[in-house]
Amino acid sequence: MEASDRADEFVPAGMASLGIEADEVEMAVMGVAHQMFWPGILGLISMDLDGVAPERDIDLSKGPPA
Amino acid sequence: MSALDLSLREQATAVRDGEVDPAELLEASLARIEERNPAVNAVVETFPERSREMLATAPEGPLRGVPVVLKDEWPLPWRAQRFGAADMLAPAEPGESGPYRALRDAGAVIVGVGNMHELGAGSTGHVSVYGPARNPWDTERCPGGSSSGPAASVAAGLVAGAVGADGLGSVRFPAAYCGLTGLKPTFGRSALAGHHAAAVTEMIVSGPLCVDAVDCRLLGSALFGEELHAGDVTGLRIGVVRDPVSEDVDPAVREACEGAIEALRAETGGEVKQVELPDLPQATLAGILIINTEMMNGVTPRRLNEVDPELSPVNRGFVKYRMLMPAAAIVQAKRLRTLTRRRLAAIFAEVDVLAWPTVPAVAPPLEAPMVELPSGTHMADQANVRGAALGNLTGIPGVSVPVGLSGGLPIGLQLQAAWGRDEMLLDAAEALERANGRRWVNERSPLARQAEPTEA
Repeated sequence: MEASDRADEFVPAGMASLGIEADEVEMAVMGVAHQMFWPGILGLISMDLDGVAPERDIDLSKGPPA
Repeated sequence: MSALDLSLREQATAVRDGEVDPAELLEASLARIEERNPAVNAVVETFPERSREMLATAPEGPLRGVPVVLKDEWPLPWRAQRFGAADMLAPAEPGESGPYRALRDAGAVIVGVGNMHELGAGSTGHVSVYGPARNPWDTERCPGGSSSGPAASVAAGLVAGAVGADGLGSVRFPAAYCGLTGLKPTFGRSALAGHHAAAVTEMIVSGPLCVDAVDCRLLGSALFGEELHAGDVTGLRIGVVRDPVSEDVDPAVREACEGAIEALRAETGGEVKQVELPDLPQATLAGILIINTEMMNGVTPRRLNEVDPELSPVNRGFVKYRMLMPAAAIVQAKRLRTLTRRRLAAIFAEVDVLAWPTVPAVAPPLEAPMVELPSGTHMADQANVRGAALGNLTGIPGVSVPVGLSGGLPIGLQLQAAWGRDEMLLDAAEALERANGRRWVNERSPLARQAEPTEA
């Protein structure tokens, strides 16, 4: 099956595969959310962050370790 | 003038010195809520007997006998929180939360619970199971969210201080919209226990909302469990970011904020430096993804199929959409957080504070919470989060300070600093107040200015 990030396919398919029921209004909201967030999510996933690992046991009360 | 119209510190001092009877102050606050709250829907529940009991057993703390409002985000021993929602998708029961204990131990009296944007998921306050809170400066306008009720209760003069929560700007937005000073503390410094996400959050903090920085210092000291000492900010180094996103601001807001930055520089004999902070839009999204992941803690597909139909349609849809956020993006968000923290550490070696508008436009109408910016018309939530998520993503503190009015509505300037420098931020906020002759912190909303029949 060809992957799609179109809201009218991605969202219903995602809900169905998770077994989550959603009415028309909820699907419409998810469609808007998808259009709003998905391009940014794809951009974030594609960012070159080689060499930057998430901080282990992060302490957000302090700056990053030197 | 009613003692209720004194500042938080003046109320505390007057009670301590025997000039004001705290029982009368409490009754005045309850009467004021009864009188004015219908116009703003800031306080969603009062419990006069519980408040009187708190006062009767209040220790000789720094806030003894001072009425305050606590956001509907924490339980009280006699009341479970509702998170502004018909269904908060998490267990809730009465209990002693961290903010409750902090306030009680300081001698404060919780006089009511503050309204909030449903599930904390909005910067406007126009959606709530209790109905929208309204802005005391214009009751047809949004008060800001998600700490809408705490802010509106201070701006309406119901109390002089309130406690909100900030997971993505939720103290700073309503501070800006309501003309208040609001502190988002460094992550982990202020009381959080009892919050339903306390075990998993790397974003949410409690924070004070008051008329000015000195009051925030007093209420913040209670929340931090340590005194936030005043210091000297002579020679303050102010960093400004100039990029397409941070420049996309309503002209009146931009003018007020630029004027305030220059006034702060002059007041402190400091300097203004331009700094680079790359990938700000991506960092904002990283913050959105991380907090939405935190809010999924314990939420299963089966639970989502049982979501209360009284939850707003927007949130019914959005809590389900959260399940589709890809794990790869969350990991990438955490890597970008690391990089952004390193970049900020480098910036804060060069400057003491970063300054930019708290929100890019003044409070929008409740009816249609959209804002007009140079780049076009935007949903207020989308526009607002751009200046706020950085602080939650990385843990740094921020404070919103009132710096002007546009069309009769407040404008806020946000100052942010390095981890643990909350005290210095409040020093800078005080310097800014001095720089403009306390003009903007002394401004009161039309609702707060109205003649009050209740005297304490």
